[in-house]
Amino acid sequence: MSRNVRVITATVAALLLATACNSAATGNSPDSKGSSVRGVTDGAIKVGGIVSMTTASGYSKKDTDLGARARFARANAEGGINGRKIDYLGAEDDGQDPAKNLAAARKLVQQDKVFAISPMSSVTFSGADFLQKQKVPTFGWGTIPSFCGPTYIYGFGGCMVPMPGGTISQTWPEGLKQVTHGAMGKTVAILANDNDAGTFAIRTYKQSFASAGYKVTFAKSSVPATSVPSDWSAYTKEILRSDGGKAPDIVVSVMQTPYNIGLFTAVKRSGYRGVLTDPTDYDPGLLAKSATKEALDGVHILLTFEPFETRSAAMKQFKADIKKASGGKDVPLNMHMMTGYMSADLFLSIAQKAGQNLTVASFQKAADGFSDTGTMVGDRALPKGQKESFGCGALVQLKNGAYHVSSPFKCYEPIPFK
Amino acid sequence: MSDLLVFVLSGLVSGALYALLATGLVLSYSASGLFNFAHGATAYLCALAFYELHSGLGWPAVPTALLLVCVASPLLGWGLDRLMFRKLARVGETAQIVATIGLLVALPALGLWVVELLDDAGVSVKPAENQFGLPGVGPSPAKNWQLMDGVGIDSDQLITWVATAAVALGLWILMRHTTLGLRLRAAVDNRSLVELRGMSADRLSTVAWMLSSGLAGLAGVLATPLLGLSAHDFTLFLFVSATAAVLGRFASVPLAFAGGLGLGVLQNLVAGYSSFAERITGFRTAVPFLILFAGLLLLTRRQRTAGTAAADAPPVDYLAGRPWARKWGPWAMAAVLLAAAFYTVTTPFWSGILAQGLALSLVFVSFTVVTGLGAMVSLAQATFVTGAALVAGLLMSHGWPFIAAALVGTCVAAVLGALVALPALRLGGRTLALATLALAFLADQVLFQMGWLRNGDTGWEIPRPVFGPVDLSDDRAMGVAMVVLCAAAVAALGALRNSPSGRAMLAVRSAPAAAMASGVSVIRTKLLLFTLSAGLAGFGGVMYASYNTRITATDFTAMTGLIWLAVVVAAGVRRPQFAVVAGLVYAIVPHLVADYVTDSVHLPVVLFGLAGLALANDPDGYCAAISVRRHRRRSTNPGAAGIGLSEATVQAPTPPQDSGTPPALELRGLHAGYDGAPVLHGVGITVHPGEIVALLGPNGSGKSTTCRTAAGLLTPLRGQVYVAGQDVTREGPVRRARAGVLLAPEGRGIFPALTIEENLTLHLADKHAREAVYERFAGLAARRNVTAGALSGGEQQLLALAPLLQEPPRVLIADEPSLGLAPRIVEDVFRLLTELRDAGTGLLLVEEKATEILGVADTVAYLDRGRVSWCGPRADVRADRLTEAYLGLAASGPGRAQDAKAEGEGAVRP
Repeated sequence: MSRNVRVITATVAALLLATACNSAATGNSPDSKGSSVRGVTDGAIKVGGIVSMTTASGYSKKDTDLGARARFARANAEGGINGRKIDYLGAEDDGQDPAKNLAAARKLVQQDKVFAISPMSSVTFSGADFLQKQKVPTFGWGTIPSFCGPTYIYGFGGCMVPMPGGTISQTWPEGLKQVTHGAMGKTVAILANDNDAGTFAIRTYKQSFASAGYKVTFAKSSVPATSVPSDWSAYTKEILRSDGGKAPDIVVSVMQTPYNIGLFTAVKRSGYRGVLTDPTDYDPGLLAKSATKEALDGVHILLTFEPFETRSAAMKQFKADIKKASGGKDVPLNMHMMTGYMSADLFLSIAQKAGQNLTVASFQKAADGFSDTGTMVGDRALPKGQKESFGCGALVQLKNGAYHVSSPFKCYEPIPFK
Repeated sequence: MSDLLVFVLSGLVSGALYALLATGLVLSYSASGLFNFAHGATAYLCALAFYELHSGLGWPAVPTALLLVCVASPLLGWGLDRLMFRKLARVGETAQIVATIGLLVALPALGLWVVELLDDAGVSVKPAENQFGLPGVGPSPAKNWQLMDGVGIDSDQLITWVATAAVALGLWILMRHTTLGLRLRAAVDNRSLVELRGMSADRLSTVAWMLSSGLAGLAGVLATPLLGLSAHDFTLFLFVSATAAVLGRFASVPLAFAGGLGLGVLQNLVAGYSSFAERITGFRTAVPFLILFAGLLLLTRRQRTAGTAAADAPPVDYLAGRPWARKWGPWAMAAVLLAAAFYTVTTPFWSGILAQGLALSLVFVSFTVVTGLGAMVSLAQATFVTGAALVAGLLMSHGWPFIAAALVGTCVAAVLGALVALPALRLGGRTLALATLALAFLADQVLFQMGWLRNGDTGWEIPRPVFGPVDLSDDRAMGVAMVVLCAAAVAALGALRNSPSGRAMLAVRSAPAAAMASGVSVIRTKLLLFTLSAGLAGFGGVMYASYNTRITATDFTAMTGLIWLAVVVAAGVRRPQFAVVAGLVYAIVPHLVADYVTDSVHLPVVLFGLAGLALANDPDGYCAAISVRRHRRRSTNPGAAGIGLSEATVQAPTPPQDSGTPPALELRGLHAGYDGAPVLHGVGITVHPGEIVALLGPNGSGKSTTCRTAAGLLTPLRGQVYVAGQDVTREGPVRRARAGVLLAPEGRGIFPALTIEENLTLHLADKHAREAVYERFAGLAARRNVTAGALSGGEQQLLALAPLLQEPPRVLIADEPSLGLAPRIVEDVFRLLTELRDAGTGLLLVEEKATEILGVADTVAYLDRGRVSWCGPRADVRADRLTEAYLGLAASGPGRAQDAKAEGEGAVRP
């Protein structure tokens, strides 16, 4: 026993000594030393992606990869960025698992040695700190707080999480004014899931709708977050009596599709004729099923990019690129393709600006003060986009099995977040 | 008032799904005694199959649903039972729980993989991701009827309700009014007795699994429109319905069914009226788990002491007594090599992965404490990890140094552990597991939703510590530090194991009652273990979070904890070093598989789940299996030679044989024993029809082992068993019972949860035969609808033996039939046995009460240390022989025989 302890103590001491010597000697400088820049050669820039493709919840963002592929392919077809082709390695699947997300980031940086990561679209971003520390420019969907603040991490539509001291985008209530013909005297009920995210959503949208002039008569995060209720009567009753016993003019759901299907079906069955709206159900795939088509009929859906129904040149280009990337087939479009496409687009635009001498430093310099206008996500500006969203959006309404633009794509002035 | 009506009505509809799942859970639990965590996964698989066949391939809805529910799911249940559950029913509880957790992830992955393969093969399947509003069996979109103002029902709900009601009726008829149902209930009550009565418990378990699987399939098809194709949601739905199974105490189908319906209503009422809890984020989400926890606390009958899992025999430690270097040398060497590797061969990427695996190992070691040392299954380890890391992060954001924050975090986790343990400790094995799971969900949904603790989705930064010149932000330094910490944890646990409190813990694990008698407080020991384990998990969690440099509240969920347990147990939970192996394997293998084996993300998950299959064969995990198997292979030959020698010297005398009819039972040269402990060394006994052979001998001489071997419960190492001249050596208890050999085991051979009438029916299908029993035993007749468990010991023994008179078996082996009975009843019992002899049955009686049995025996055999030392007619029995038989034949002392018994029985009897 005592021998046991002695041997272990000796080993531990030796190891600690070795560690101390080594970590003192080598320090921890990131890989980008010397003349060569990680992932950049004379002819190519190496880029990787991280996307949740398979998950236990049945929710997948895998078309994000297709979108990025489409955008990079066009860039290469146009001769690359300052003469360098984009070598896109494809996206790693993180399965919505934080451990895998970090491992994917490490693999791309340490093993594949990419210059940048674009797109990164998941519900978790535990690789963020690592990427920031390793100075890897990363582009993705800014619905996670890591997109708000860290200098190397960029959201394609800006930072979409209202941060303390930041702003709230007014896209949703301002867009709805088009639908309800102004906000005067109109009442709103907001429903969210019973968890921290839901509580946070209620807090922001309550402020957002109120400051746009709506009267918020109901705002609760009370729907169980882990399983979709099979019966919605308890919630609909409360909502539909919230305006002094009457139904409110607008019912806002800040929940995911399966919840929205249940809620809107129940609300409509009880005879509600007002405006229904949510921010998630813009997926032409939903039109393929009669149940979802009926449940979501009439619902106004918020998007933070140009609707596919718009006939702008950029949208035409997007559709052509996607078709080409999917082997000439007409695949149904969805927002994940747009996420991947616009993440790649923001990266390419900044890399273009960085010029011939592409290093992480020159890239960051180009990003600082980068701005352009009229893209499919509106007017982009950095570093503002690392603090708040670009503030642009549109509403589409699902009517008779097709989406129609009910409030055109536009940018709105945000309000301070209290 | 109309609100209330609506809530109740619509709650009944959602409750129907809970009821279906809960019923399936109860059935499968009954069949093989394991809580099937994968029950929801089965339902998901069916939902997926229904979607692909109906929506993808365009098959018609109703026939597809019928095919899946009535054919495909039962087939799945059959297959799983054959491959896994049947074997799992015989191994320890931890292995059972873990094997089904493996399935929980493997089944959905298997389904998705098949879809992927079909898609590659050009079949017109549809993608299974992002599918919402799927059609069910009924019209899509569902038709809706308004019954009255505000009260409506749609076609999907109606279908669910009708199908569930039909199933309820069908099950009731099956369980209460058919022989199959009666046998199923008997198997629930006492599995091994069912086998001894000639009914195949395995076949019954297969039927139950097929039924259970079919019910899961039905729930899956019915829930498709509601849950879509989310395996996660199906599993959560299952955990909620576990509440209903708890209400039915995992034994009563009707109660579970009613519980399911009630749960749906209750959930609706809470949703409708719980405005008081609006300020507590997550309260409504957590309601089902609150109910689950409360149900477990209030409704669980106390079976075993203080959270002990079913005793699973420890694997033999072949290195016990070997020198330190032999035991620990390889491990120490591996640790040093690993540490050296960080600075020599590994690339930065692999350094990171290894460091991550080692950090996780620290968490995994905590399972060794609670499950390995304490035999309690905790599914809340991820909660302790998250709790400790969040607290540490919170403190560090206020400028605390790493060490202090980590210490406080560790203490918080330990306190959390004690809080979880306090109410849960009075529960038994799987109930404790479920209770910790419920608490883990509660923590996820309420505690970790508190804004000040979780800091939104941003979480807290936990920078890697720097101690003087040692800067752990270098992955290699982090890795070496983790090697040191893991080695320290392993050494500390080794020291703990060998300390007095460690011995107390092991004592509590293997024999709580005995430990209590020796002055060890079981509750305090268990509480200590739980607290220690939680603290260790918390510390590991802080280290792991510091590897990630951040903690968010969703990094480690209750589901993560489930997977962790599976990973650790698959490697081996008895020794801390195995947990370190598990951590490294968990971190490394996915990358190796992705690099060298397959691109499919589903296949590795399927393979991981199949580790459960391996567990059914090696319940102590693959690390332990390596050494055990190697040792067994090595020890086969010398062991056999030793036994051969002893046989040559001892010749058991046998009574002269009748030349006409073959003996009813003949044991020839039986060698038998339990893993590594031989008990019988060449026992030969012959029992003729109409003869009573009394088998006498001191404790530990092998009497019970002889009975078990004769009845087929134990396979002899060598020697033969003949029944009526037929060699039945290789046949199990069921075949032997059918050949006419009945064992009345020590204790009472009845089914306590069945009524007297039902107990008799299992023996005597014929009503007249039962009436004849009642005529003779008026005491039983008067109480035919009373459960047998309510009878006195004597009445129970009579109930076990009485039906035999109606249809006398060829051989009856009775192991201490008079044990614990009043003298008057003993007379009754012996009278019964004599009557059986007169009816032609050959009886082999094992008795302690030698004087009484000598009054009825024809032949007497003395058993001493596994050999028949004397055998002859009763008339030749002399008092001194009798004394010798009980004192264990003076010479080499009874001590050794005593040891043999203790060892042998310890290995088999729970």
